[in-house]
Amino acid sequence: MRLPTEWHRLWAFAARSLIVNRRNVFAVFEMLFWPAVAILSVGLLTRFLHLDADTVSFILIGAVSMNTIQIAQLDLSYSLLYDVWSRSLKHAFIAPVRLAHLILGAGLVGLMRGFFIFVVMGVVSQILFGMELGRPGVTGLVLFLAGLFLNAAIIGMLVLLLVLRFGHRAEVAAWAFSYLVFLICGLYYPVTVLPQGVQQVAWLLPLTHFLDYFRQFYGFPASSAHPLLYGFSQSLLYLALSYLGLGLVLHRARSRGTLLKLSS
Amino acid sequence: MPAAIVAQGVCKSFRTGWFKPPQAVLKGVDLEVPRGGIFGILGPNAAGKTTLISILATLLLPDAGRVEVLGLDAVRQAHLLRQRINLAAAGAQFLWCLSVEENLAFCGRLYGLGGRRLRQKVAELLELFELTEHRRVTFDNLSTGLKQRLALAKTLINDPELLFLDEPTSGLDPEMARHLREEIARLNRETGLTILLTTHNLREAELLCHEVAFLREGVLAVHGSIPELQARLGLGDRVRLAFAGPPPPMDYRALPGVVSAEVSDSQVTLVVDRADLRLAPLLALLQQNGSPPASVRLKEADLEDLYHEIAH
Repeated sequence: MRLPTEWHRLWAFAARSLIVNRRNVFAVFEMLFWPAVAILSVGLLTRFLHLDADTVSFILIGAVSMNTIQIAQLDLSYSLLYDVWSRSLKHAFIAPVRLAHLILGAGLVGLMRGFFIFVVMGVVSQILFGMELGRPGVTGLVLFLAGLFLNAAIIGMLVLLLVLRFGHRAEVAAWAFSYLVFLICGLYYPVTVLPQGVQQVAWLLPLTHFLDYFRQFYGFPASSAHPLLYGFSQSLLYLALSYLGLGLVLHRARSRGTLLKLSS
Repeated sequence: MPAAIVAQGVCKSFRTGWFKPPQAVLKGVDLEVPRGGIFGILGPNAAGKTTLISILATLLLPDAGRVEVLGLDAVRQAHLLRQRINLAAAGAQFLWCLSVEENLAFCGRLYGLGGRRLRQKVAELLELFELTEHRRVTFDNLSTGLKQRLALAKTLINDPELLFLDEPTSGLDPEMARHLREEIARLNRETGLTILLTTHNLREAELLCHEVAFLREGVLAVHGSIPELQARLGLGDRVRLAFAGPPPPMDYRALPGVVSAEVSDSQVTLVVDRADLRLAPLLALLQQNGSPPASVRLKEADLEDLYHEIAH
């Protein structure tokens, strides 16, 4: 394995994603509009309800997290969808690239865009609604962001998996799944308000643990002693399973002719 | 020199629905493609040409059989093989919002090119395919001919040893198709690149291919050079001799180079292996016998005849 060669393959997907984002005015709109709507509507709701500062932070953390994950996973999901929409999937899969190149390359741009959104939303939340973004410190922020990016990678890979398995119409199902995750993981409320059975499911989601970890800096004690440990181990497990699943689906796509169908 | 492609017993079936039985598209294809030439796979629509080329190009896995391309197992060593091959399919498709140059650069990076090497390669291909002045035009603003030229340029980005072209001129107008055929022939002539192409255009195969194979109902019906196939199937140039009266009586079949002969009231139709060699002595003989034909019509053998012979 030659490192520069591997880097160029990875950079192929990153560079393409950057060009598309730069050239597509709707991509910029998508990146800024929905987070702005989310932070303003949720922030104004907290003001209307006269909530205390920590509860406002609790809710705004949910809004910031959801939008960071959504934006970060987009590049990964779009990496295959661009090829499917333009019927040019063959170019990538006849070349000596591996799934890792695609995931890391497109994921790199997603990470950059996700970081940008996290910072912008955090700053807006601080200026308009008094959320102290810096309260957890640099380590807390970095660990929480890493958790959000891992969750974005899992959702992005799930979209890739469904697109390779069922075609581009499956993207809707994948994004619907991500909203289901947000619903269960306690985005705007503690998971204790959920029915008992659903709570059990919630603790199987890494995002629940990362939110639990981050909110403890705002006066809400964590439900477990090691939320980060649970969050990272679950994330790594799901990432490994997603990667494995993606490999199997790609093999199946080569076997069943789905790659050809998606290219024609 | 070892063959570029050796395929043995390649089978492929597809399911068309959840509860439908699989339909066999390839039923045991055996194929050997020599290096350095242009090899054509011919067949009608839905004969399995795209399926076969996709298997050889590692885009599709065979259900059974052995496929060796450039000395590598196309299933187990597909990743290594992909560095040494490339493919262009009918109806060039690239990401619509990327320019010609950006699309080539994207494909170059997929093959591990970067920095100065990538810039040089892209510039070289733009020059070679006369795309330099269109390098900043986005794909969706290119004409069909330029799109197809970009597709061909892309196939050379990794300096492949073997090129797969799936119906390369399909959908192009005759002038564009002719231009592209010239490009393909030039590529092979100047670089010695092995090219395997599929087509249902017999004239195209005749103009380009050193060897052809006919795919029919999932098996390769015949395989060889065009003159070889003509000889094997008893096909050749057709010479029609019309006489003022009854044709002179003689054993036409015994004449040198005659494959078949048909005699009617006032004309004789001969199929000869090569009219350019046989016609002059034949006319001299008839002249000598004192019964020269009133008119001579010649139709050179073409793949149409060959195709007709195989398909029926």
